[in-house]
Amino acid sequence: MVSPPVPLALSPQFAVPFAVGRVPGCGPLNRELEALLLARENDQHRNPTPTHVPQLETFESRFDLFRWPEACIQELRRAMLTSVAQAVLQSSEITPEQLSRLTLHNHTWFHVSRYAGSFVAHNHPLASWSAVYCVRAGESVSEHPDSGVLRFFDTRPGADAYLDATNRRLRAPFAVRPLEFHLEEGQIVIFPSYVFHEVAPFYGRDARITVATNCWFT
Amino acid sequence: MSVPPLSVNPLFAVPFISALLPGAQALNPALLALFGARATEAYRDGQLKPDPLCFRSREDLFEWPEPAAANLRGEVLGAVCQAVMAASTLTEAEFDGLAVQARARFVVVRPNGALPAASVPLASWCALYCVAVPAPHPSRADSAAVRLYETRLANMFLDASNSQLRPPFAPGHQVWHPVPGEIAVFPASIMHEVALNRGDRDLVLVAARLRFAHPRMEALPPW
Repeated sequence: MVSPPVPLALSPQFAVPFAVGRVPGCGPLNRELEALLLARENDQHRNPTPTHVPQLETFESRFDLFRWPEACIQELRRAMLTSVAQAVLQSSEITPEQLSRLTLHNHTWFHVSRYAGSFVAHNHPLASWSAVYCVRAGESVSEHPDSGVLRFFDTRPGADAYLDATNRRLRAPFAVRPLEFHLEEGQIVIFPSYVFHEVAPFYGRDARITVATNCWFT
Repeated sequence: MSVPPLSVNPLFAVPFISALLPGAQALNPALLALFGARATEAYRDGQLKPDPLCFRSREDLFEWPEPAAANLRGEVLGAVCQAVMAASTLTEAEFDGLAVQARARFVVVRPNGALPAASVPLASWCALYCVAVPAPHPSRADSAAVRLYETRLANMFLDASNSQLRPPFAPGHQVWHPVPGEIAVFPASIMHEVALNRGDRDLVLVAARLRFAHPRMEALPPW
């Protein structure tokens, strides 16, 4: 005799908080940012101590971007850091009052990627939250669907080593696979700094421009 | 103050084995001709995203009847068996009782192409055999290199003392520069990728995944 099914509560555990949003009305802001960042894609503003082998096709700036006084930078600063704070509030037990007593520190920089530019998989030590903002997505190339993809690696290494017919097709959010973002202009992605991520080679003929920040609270 | 003698040891180590295959000199021209003729849609692995700059064949290379494919299979299996013996506590007699199962494909990474990072499921060992490489790039050290990802995900707190650990303790990815005729063997769980090929010629690799079945082992899931 077949027993009736036991009522089950299926829930995602060991979850990683990702916050995704889009800055409203970002068109004019992005045009200003694009002009400013491209004008400063030069040795004076280049990161002098890159942590990874620098690539000609991907420019990385110094980490002081949010200290620039330009209005568009300060507008972006408010939007990104407020978004990080919101992500903290939504994913933690910290109250707004408690958060308001903390100091938010940041290292912030910009990347300009051109044809065949990429960034190797990495995470960000000594930070708790990281965020990426898309100023310009760059040309999408139909024959290279992964062009410029921001790819986060699954934090459960080895979880897909043993596959049979049942765990090969787990549904989201249980499926073991990388999380990929085809960034759109004005989009912001906030994630824990420990998550390894990379930028796949960009094959557009123009430029892909992003701003990234690492945040920590004291 | 006297300093006691210290013993500093690498723990949680990952075996990585590289070797030149003895038959490579004769094998590679035949493989290049064979792969050159078959880097076509008919042989492409349709389960994988198509990429005009990175061709990946179906994983049935070791079943091809051509002598070059059969010779390759023998050479690769021989090298992997040696590697496993070197890294494990299995005796030769125990090892002889195991049945090896292997699947392989060929990969062509064209100029400006790359192979995204992945680990290999349902296998214990991964082997990469190099058939052809582009000339080394004068200023791009990682051009067409195989990058093996760091497995110790404990780098989040760094201070002045642990940010400059010496090898093999320093955290970071490892790179293998393929050389024609050379094979690299490592655990299948290790994420690996081929960094962007900045050269002007193709990188041609054979990628194999292998596992060893004990006679008393329950059935393994199909690949």
